[in-house]
Amino acid sequence: MSQRADEKGTWLFALPVLLVLLWTVVYPNASIIVGSFEHGLRSWRQFASSPTDIEALRTTLIISVGSVIASVAVGLPLAFLLTRVEFRGRRILSAVATLPAALPPLVGVVAFLFLYGESGVVTRGVQALLGLDHAPWTLNGAGAIIFVHAYTMYVYVFLFVSAGLERLDTSLDEAAAGLGASRSFRLRRVTLPLLTPAIAGSMLLVFMSALGSFSAPYIFGGGLRVLSTQIVASKLNGAMGLAYVETTVLAVGAIAALILLRWFERRRTYAVSSKGSVVRTRLHSRSARALAPIAGVILVVILVLPHAMVVLVAFARDGTWTTQVLPPEYTFDNFRRLATNSDLWVPIWNSVSMTAIATVLDIVVCLLAAYLLVLRRFRMRWLLATLVALPWAIPGTAIGLGLASTFDRTSLAGARVLLVGTFWILPLAYFVRGVPLVSSATEGSLRQMDPSLEDAARGLGASWWLTMRRVVLPASRPGLVAGAMLAAIAAVGEFVASIVLFTQANRPISMEILSQLRNFAFGTAAAFSVVLIALVLAITLIARWAEGRWSRAEAVVIQ
Amino acid sequence: MPIRRRRVAQLVSAVLASLVVAACQRGPHRTVLTVYSPHGNDLLSFYEKEFEAAHPDIDVQSVDMGSQDIIDRLRSEKANPQADIWFGAPEEIFERAGREGLLAPYHPTWANAVPADSHDPNDLWYGTYLTPEVIGYNSQAVSDSAAPKDWDDVLDPKWKGKVLIRDPIASGSMRAIFGAIILRSIRDTGTPNQGYAWLKRLDAQTKEYTLNPTILYQKLGRQEGLITLFDMPDLAMLRDRYHIPVKYTIPASGTPLLVDAIALVKGAKHPAIARQYYEFVTSQRALLDAAERFYRIPVRTDIPADSLPPWIRAARDQIKPMPLDRAMLEQHLDEWMQYWDSHIRNSSR
Repeated sequence: MSQRADEKGTWLFALPVLLVLLWTVVYPNASIIVGSFEHGLRSWRQFASSPTDIEALRTTLIISVGSVIASVAVGLPLAFLLTRVEFRGRRILSAVATLPAALPPLVGVVAFLFLYGESGVVTRGVQALLGLDHAPWTLNGAGAIIFVHAYTMYVYVFLFVSAGLERLDTSLDEAAAGLGASRSFRLRRVTLPLLTPAIAGSMLLVFMSALGSFSAPYIFGGGLRVLSTQIVASKLNGAMGLAYVETTVLAVGAIAALILLRWFERRRTYAVSSKGSVVRTRLHSRSARALAPIAGVILVVILVLPHAMVVLVAFARDGTWTTQVLPPEYTFDNFRRLATNSDLWVPIWNSVSMTAIATVLDIVVCLLAAYLLVLRRFRMRWLLATLVALPWAIPGTAIGLGLASTFDRTSLAGARVLLVGTFWILPLAYFVRGVPLVSSATEGSLRQMDPSLEDAARGLGASWWLTMRRVVLPASRPGLVAGAMLAAIAAVGEFVASIVLFTQANRPISMEILSQLRNFAFGTAAAFSVVLIALVLAITLIARWAEGRWSRAEAVVIQ
Repeated sequence: MPIRRRRVAQLVSAVLASLVVAACQRGPHRTVLTVYSPHGNDLLSFYEKEFEAAHPDIDVQSVDMGSQDIIDRLRSEKANPQADIWFGAPEEIFERAGREGLLAPYHPTWANAVPADSHDPNDLWYGTYLTPEVIGYNSQAVSDSAAPKDWDDVLDPKWKGKVLIRDPIASGSMRAIFGAIILRSIRDTGTPNQGYAWLKRLDAQTKEYTLNPTILYQKLGRQEGLITLFDMPDLAMLRDRYHIPVKYTIPASGTPLLVDAIALVKGAKHPAIARQYYEFVTSQRALLDAAERFYRIPVRTDIPADSLPPWIRAARDQIKPMPLDRAMLEQHLDEWMQYWDSHIRNSSR
């Protein structure tokens, strides 16, 4: 097959994928930027001269940097501890270490309010223990938001650094030790430099997430202004031009971080030369051996507490919990209501079906994208690579606002379809948010495949379809399953874009939780949250089961 | 190979089945009437049941959200309106929606029973309830005799750091109270400065501006703060329905009375049913139900006084409506709130 014919064949797949991504990712966000100039520079001047917006921008940056520092402070030592040190309880701790990532954003924030809020369980507990007549702290302002961010986002640092440490060859460290380098010298001159790309990459990821974070400032900002909530406030006041400017500023900041992240990722591949072998050291000193499990238990409790709190409130009788440390009365009513009122099933079903639709779309589009990125050479490769990573940087609020202002009418000339107010707008938003997760995971799997395998299959006369099915698909499978799992987990509890786009007919669980909270039905809201956590668990189990089934099927095929 | 093919077939059929079920679910058997309203689940589901009992072929779906959220939603859904009827929000917001072309006119059968200033001259909206603003307090922590009796009592040093305020920018009630304070200042001195000074002192008393009513209720019930300014029906509901220990006093010197209104949404999918619902929730009987169960004071003046529940008659004696210059409010309220937001909020802390 000639080079030219090959490229032509590639375009057959590349064009639709590129068009879909341009249409759903770039177009809505471009129209936001265009919208910000609708009245010339007026909206921009308004933004620059508004003390509240400047304050919001400053607070956003402070919170993002604070979240990065806090996440590194928690995630880095934990990663070292769990990959490098053997101690009793290590397995349990590493099992729950990523738990915060599975807590849907709104649920996590509400759980924190119940735990550490001024009248929360932990707060009142400490108050009672110390005999104070005032709460020892308030969960308010920037500190509170950074606290919540640290809890959910340290997972990024932990995962990146753990992966880096797993790949790091401990023999390097041993060699340095053999040459007489002290422990701190080795840490400074061997381990940390090799980990720099992983640490920097995860820091940028935390920065991007914190920049666009919405639920924490929304629920207990307590009058604190950040850009993501300011966007919603401007939209509420009908100041769309200003909302577009705020969105543009936020997205540009995040995209800058993304570009840096990509740069660091490229550097990371240079750093890895061998597969690495990890040797866990055992603790020698007796005190350390005694302290490690205790510290481990405390960490596990802190990590599990928000989940436990949600479950507890789901069984508390609404309205009875006022000044006590723990809810005084318990009941099954909240779940009974959920089981018997068929109106309450609608949001659950909506979330499940919209997640399924979005995930299937993600799988199809991202499998093709990853295939094109890894195994095909064509001129627009860089564009595709940028497009699949872009939704990572664009905050959920911006994605929601972009879709809302683009697909609000049908216009053939403008390539617009009326989706606002229909069922399909939310699956579309979930699809867009899932693209980077599925494509990067799939790409990772495909990179581990020897590219000559595909050529070999084609050379032996296999059709494109057969090659795809028998070579490419099996090679991309682990990443595809993992990425689809992450995308489905994100979609089923999605809150930020949903709040901009949902309608009564397709309201997802997160919106139902918000509306139950609005009605002061904390128990019902918590019961819904438990359902959501159960769904996340179910998705994880399905992914594991699919992975297991597939690998077994594979074994049969190979035999 | 066969195993994998079966797996793929299973997966595909599962997805297809879920899509089909999803489609069926959205294909309703009854006509769906969508109501956007901030009035809360209790009142809404009460009317929902009554209306559906009278019209078995109609499925009323009430979407409960804040007044300001509703106008935002109507704006973004302008090309494809999802709501049929908009039930509840201060008239100021309806006024703006009317100007933006979001409402459809309707002349209700009881139009003559409403005072001229409580409806739109072009029939775009009509007043339904009168909502007095009151001072709420946690009744476990504050005795009735110690509770503030008037606006100025809230500034007493003993309440410093004990006042909770719902974020005033997003709240119709709070905007009304702040507006009334500024209007009082303009009436007395000709400038808003005295009003701003009052709000600054209130800011110094305030512990927190809560994002939404729920957090306000929770914090008030759990004694994170003891005093708040809010509307009467919501505080009464909090006490009766959710057993939060909250009571209220009606400010002695006078209080703003908000006119809460109703309107048809322009471009609605079911205008005829929407009109039926409009008439239904504003009928004498429905208004009496709302008064008895949900502490709503009807705007309609043709309801015989002796059929109204005793609390309304008592409240009517206690409530001294603050004179509100609506034209001035409409012209300047945004500007005042903007000034408050950038110069007064959190300035005393």
